[in-house]
Amino acid sequence: MKRTQKNLKRPLLALLAVLLLSVPLIFSGFPYAILICCFILLYVIAVSGLDIVFGYCGQISMGHAAFFAIGAYGSCLLHDYCGIPIMLTMVIAAVLAASVGAVIAYPASKLVFHFLSLATLSFGEIVYQIISHSPGGITNNFVGYYTESINFFGLTLDTYPRFYYYALGCAVLFLTAKQMLVNSQVGRAFIAIRENHHAADGMGVNVRKYKVIAFAVSAFYTAFAGAMYAHLVRYISPDTFMQKQSVMFLTMLLFGGTASLAGPICGVTVVMLLNELLRSAERYQMFIYGILLLAVIVLIPGGIYGTVEKAIKNVFRRKKEATKDAAG
Amino acid sequence: MLQVKDVTLSFGGLVAVNHVSMEVRDGSITGLIGPNGAGKTTFFNIASGVYTPDSGEIIFDGKNITGKRCFQINEAGISRTYQVINLFKKMTVLENVLVGMHSRIKSKFFASLLHLPSQRAEEKELRKKAMKLLEFVGLEKQANDEAGSLSYGQQRLLEIVRGMASDPKLLLLDEPAAGMNSRENDELMVLLKKIAAMGISILIIEHDMNLMMNLCDYIYVLNYGKLLAEGKPAQIQQNPDVIAAYLGGE
Repeated sequence: MKRTQKNLKRPLLALLAVLLLSVPLIFSGFPYAILICCFILLYVIAVSGLDIVFGYCGQISMGHAAFFAIGAYGSCLLHDYCGIPIMLTMVIAAVLAASVGAVIAYPASKLVFHFLSLATLSFGEIVYQIISHSPGGITNNFVGYYTESINFFGLTLDTYPRFYYYALGCAVLFLTAKQMLVNSQVGRAFIAIRENHHAADGMGVNVRKYKVIAFAVSAFYTAFAGAMYAHLVRYISPDTFMQKQSVMFLTMLLFGGTASLAGPICGVTVVMLLNELLRSAERYQMFIYGILLLAVIVLIPGGIYGTVEKAIKNVFRRKKEATKDAAG
Repeated sequence: MLQVKDVTLSFGGLVAVNHVSMEVRDGSITGLIGPNGAGKTTFFNIASGVYTPDSGEIIFDGKNITGKRCFQINEAGISRTYQVINLFKKMTVLENVLVGMHSRIKSKFFASLLHLPSQRAEEKELRKKAMKLLEFVGLEKQANDEAGSLSYGQQRLLEIVRGMASDPKLLLLDEPAAGMNSRENDELMVLLKKIAAMGISILIIEHDMNLMMNLCDYIYVLNYGKLLAEGKPAQIQQNPDVIAAYLGGE
């Protein structure tokens, strides 16, 4: 059984790689579709970040739009005011967001559930207020801020296909790092905290330290995605970083399924495509998100990927039992 | 090994643990008994760092560990199990044991992120050791099952091996036999004796008198937060105060 699974895995992965690499060719006459794929990739990074703190470590965050904003504004401002190349400012902004995340998480690590969601909610609101009423108007407040494309070692990523390949590279890098992290003792400590933080503490896990690490790593991911967003669209305004963005990250994550590699990917893809289909009904967007979120929580608590995974496992188990029965 | 000197802890007006002193000797199995609500579990929670005592000292291995946090006490070499099963239910049996080893892991954050060769080698060693521990209690076949899917008795065993995973010098067991049938009880006794023979001292809370009398080298009796009696099992059985506390009467 295992062998057939393994034999299937390689060609499937190769097929997926070819498919992903040829997206700009498939949609060569339809740049808007490539743009949507770029968004999907950067949201996958952002939502995977949220998954680290929420899915694995079990700490809810209602304020991840704040990290998205720190990444976006941080990268743009650092580039314009300090003249640092964008490739670097994206990383610096993400490190900055990680530090902010750690500072927030240190006191917040004492809070659980609804208190933590309130604290993170207000953190999101604080950052929103700062970027929309910035000191000296450095963020241009509600007018919005114009910025440039990424200069990738001399190549300007100013077309959608170019940005797409860059984003694909970043997504692969970030998702690989996420898998490596969660499959180490750090990831085990995260899950242990989610499952039972008293027992984790008793077993030698420094709960506060690991909650801080989870928040910091998560902030790094989401902030980097925010910087990608800024340099893809080349224009950012506080509208993008309102509370509803945080809710959208959570919707995407819960929709796809938490604590997995594929969950955020499924969730982001489905929600983004729905988003496009519902363009004409933009006014009802939040309403529809709300209903979707409710439906997922009530009907498929494991999210799309979680449910599919379970179904596949059940099929395999039944097959195994059937062969066993036949043999016996 | 463990010396508790005159420890007191009160919750509001209730004195849960009242000037209690006791000692666990190297390699011994020490019992802690008393009627419900006598303060046994509270005492465990003080020793393992969940609560900080209002007064008194706890010395472990010559070091003062009073007021240290849970994870620091685990690092110092005291591990524990819980009265209510406190496993990481959605993790596999093996992963539960691996979390138990947490305080002994040397790899740091970036080594784990990048899966450096040193980290991979360590991880391999850990898994080997964890499997050995599971074999020790006969859970090796369930290594990749979810901990929550184990039977009640197996979950109790897993709690014990998870506690042993950090190579503790002292293991605190809070009612490990609760809900076990008599056969499982006998197996547990054999297992605990084996653990003690490995050089791990044990401090155990249990209501099953038969088990305690056969297992323990020394027993302390708590009643209403106070130390009522102490001594060898035979002495405890004869102690009129203890009999009165258990059977009622003045």
